[in-house]
This record gives sequence, structure tokens and C-alpha cells, in this order.
Amino acid sequence: MIFNTFAYYLLFLFPAALAFRFAPASLRPWTCALFGAGFFLFFSLTAVGGVPGAFCLAIFVWESIFSRLYQKGSWLCWIGVAQSIAFLVAFKYWNFFTGLYFGAAAQNPVYWKGAFLPLGISFFTFEFIHYAVDRYEGKTEAGSAAEYLSFILYFPTMVAGPIKRYQDFLPKVRNPSKDTLENWRIGCTRILTGLAKKFCVADVMTAFTNHLNKADILTAQRWVLPLWLLAYGMKIYFDFSGYSDIAIGSARLFGIRVPENFDWPYFQVNIAEFWRHWHISLTRWLIDYVFIPLGGSRVANSRIWANLMVTMLVSGVWHGAGLNFVVWGAWHGALLVVHRIWIQLRGPAPPDRGFIRLAASWAGTFLWVNLGWAFFSMDLSTALLFFRRLVGG
Amino acid sequence: MMLQLLEKIKSILEYLGGVSEDLPLESLRWMRGPLWWGTWWAVLILSIVAFSGQSSKFIYIDF
Repeated sequence: MIFNTFAYYLLFLFPAALAFRFAPASLRPWTCALFGAGFFLFFSLTAVGGVPGAFCLAIFVWESIFSRLYQKGSWLCWIGVAQSIAFLVAFKYWNFFTGLYFGAAAQNPVYWKGAFLPLGISFFTFEFIHYAVDRYEGKTEAGSAAEYLSFILYFPTMVAGPIKRYQDFLPKVRNPSKDTLENWRIGCTRILTGLAKKFCVADVMTAFTNHLNKADILTAQRWVLPLWLLAYGMKIYFDFSGYSDIAIGSARLFGIRVPENFDWPYFQVNIAEFWRHWHISLTRWLIDYVFIPLGGSRVANSRIWANLMVTMLVSGVWHGAGLNFVVWGAWHGALLVVHRIWIQLRGPAPPDRGFIRLAASWAGTFLWVNLGWAFFSMDLSTALLFFRRLVGG
Repeated sequence: MMLQLLEKIKSILEYLGGVSEDLPLESLRWMRGPLWWGTWWAVLILSIVAFSGQSSKFIYIDF
């Protein structure tokens, strides 16, 4: 879908990258914005959301107008944050939250039957909030309306990141790299690598991960259960890092570098390092806009642990409207708290620890992260059944 | 020793994937030329074509 369609490359990426490269400087932001709007409409109509989804382009138009009101210290920035969260909650969590109160869909009088997700809403919400908060704090310039539109409608990263920062993106739109041949060599290599990760590894794993359902878990031999879960761990890594490779490679064709999203996360030796290397742009966003405003790590220990839990719960709920995602967030929050307590008791690990200790730390991290995927890949009752069968046979 | 080997493998893979632009080892100079990149792209494209047809959605599209 989208990045693995010819339409993406032939209708959008190659024409947009060439137009951007040869357009005069003043028209570059408009090039990004217009192709981004076309991309949003085309893929809303053909892939996600349909006609109502396409109408959600109005969210970008409204955001581009309203954001012009942001000033340092202005309360309008907080209105901007609130409306961005409101859009996300309305589209993504309406049935989830009302369902928590009223019960299943049949008993829910306000159930939204035709619920849909506007293309990329989970990701562009982060960029809207980042801009509003950074404008409030005076950390970024306003830029022109066209420049802000080019930022929020930049289609290589619109659907699933990496999550950009305006102050990082703006100079690159104004002065993109001019080494076209090298940018295209690297960009195309990155895109092909991402597609190979998706087609040759992630999609192959689907044959195993399809078994992560109640019927198969009940009848399977116990020893295959961890293999299916491991397959999911590999699938989600190769799928999402492949996706990020394509997004980063696509941006490179414009002469623009966007943030990296993955840096060998499964080779990390503790959970904190894992999160510094997995979905990096999301982790940094959560640190800057959730963890630090809560007090970060400059408060009492109990507050730090609470901040870690809240941050990971936000991450969990953001990943999906379901109790399993809440548990997945709590799982990682708890792992981070335990890791923090461990470091406080034992001190940081020495850099020259031996290979055996390093391998043991890696194995432990890998194990806990992969067990956590059970809550990510299955609904709560199926995940609990999975663990019951895994432990009890 | 083992860690150094892993580091080398990592840097070669990053170069091949377009993540890193610096040649990881001087002995791999032949990986710089257009002939190499043409061959490598052909390998990637053939692999993609060989495995295509079973494609599913990217997981994070629905997020």
C-alpha cells in the first residue's frame, strides 16, 4: 500500500522530486505542498478513508491558517495543541472511549459505524503539536504559510513518519542539497533496500504471524508459539524499518535529509537503549513533548518512574485504540522503570564488560521486547491465552 | 574480536543499504563505481520481483 505501488513512484515521487529540484527557490515550498495535497487526495480516495477521507485535506488547510496566529507565549498555541489532539481523538478513539463507557457496539448509542482514519493522522498530529509548542516557546520561526504547508504536506513522511521537526526541515526546503546525482544514487539505494526488506523478509514472515489467533494458539504445539512471536518481532522490524528506508530515500531524491528512525534496535543491550534505537523520531517526540514536560528525570525517583510509565502508556495508546496497546505501553514502561532501578542500585554498566555479560544483556533485552510484541500483535484475551499456553502448556 | 567483526559487518550492510555514505573498508574500493551500484540495484530489484505478489499492507499505515 502506497509505498509499494507504481502510482506512488510514477505519479508523485519522481515528478515531485524533479519539479522540486528544478523549481525556482520561491516555488519549492509550493511544489511540496501541491504534490502533497495531490498525494493525500489520491491515496485517500484509492486506499484509506475514501471520499470522507479526502475531505480531511481541510484539516491541513485549517491548520495552515490557524498556525499563522501562533506567537511566542500566546495561548492560541495551546488551542492549536488542543484542536490537534481533538482531531486525533475524534477519528481514532471515538468508538474506543465511548465503548469503554457504554460497552460493545450494539449497546453503544453513540457508536460511529462509518468510522475511518484520515491518511497519516497519527503522524501529522505529532507535527502539528510540535509546531504549536515550539512556537509557544519561541524555539522555531514561523516561516511563510507556503513553507509550513510544505512541512505538513511533505508526502514522503506524511503517512508514517519519520516525524520531522520544523526548525530542522525549513533550512532544507530553502537550501536543498544540490548534489543531484549522489542524492538520487543514495535515495534509490535506500528505497530499493526498504522494498527488499518489506517484500523479501516482512511479507515472508506473514506465513508464520497469521497463526497468532485463538484457534491456532489453542491447537498448536507449545514449541512453535515462541517462533510465531519471534516471526512477528522480525516482521514488524523489517516492515517498519523498510517503510522508513523508503521514506528517507524518497526525501533524499528532493535533496532533503529527514531523521533516521531505526538504528539496529534488536542489537541493543538494555531497554533504554532499545528505545533510543527503535522508532527514534517517535521516542524523541515523546521525550520532548511528554516526558520532559512531566518533569523528566530531574525529579524524585518515584516521579521519574511515574513519568516513564505515563510516557509509555501514551505511546501504547497512540499505537492503537485497544486495551492490548495499553498493556503493551505499560509493559515497556515497567521495563524502563525496572532498568532505571537496576542502574540506580548497581551503577551504570562498565564499558569494558566482557562478551558473556554483553551477550546476556542483549539476550535479556531481546527476550523481553519480543515477549511484549504479544500484546501488540493480538487482542488482550488472545495475548493472555498465548502466555497461558506458553507457560502452562 | 567478535565485536569488531560484528561492527565491520554492520558498517558494510549500512553502506549497501544507503544508510552510510562512507566506504567501510579501503579494501572495498570496488564498491564505489557505477558498475557495482548497477549490479547491486539489479540484485535488489530481482529479489523484490521474486518475492512480490504476496504483498500485504505496511503495518504502520493504519496507525
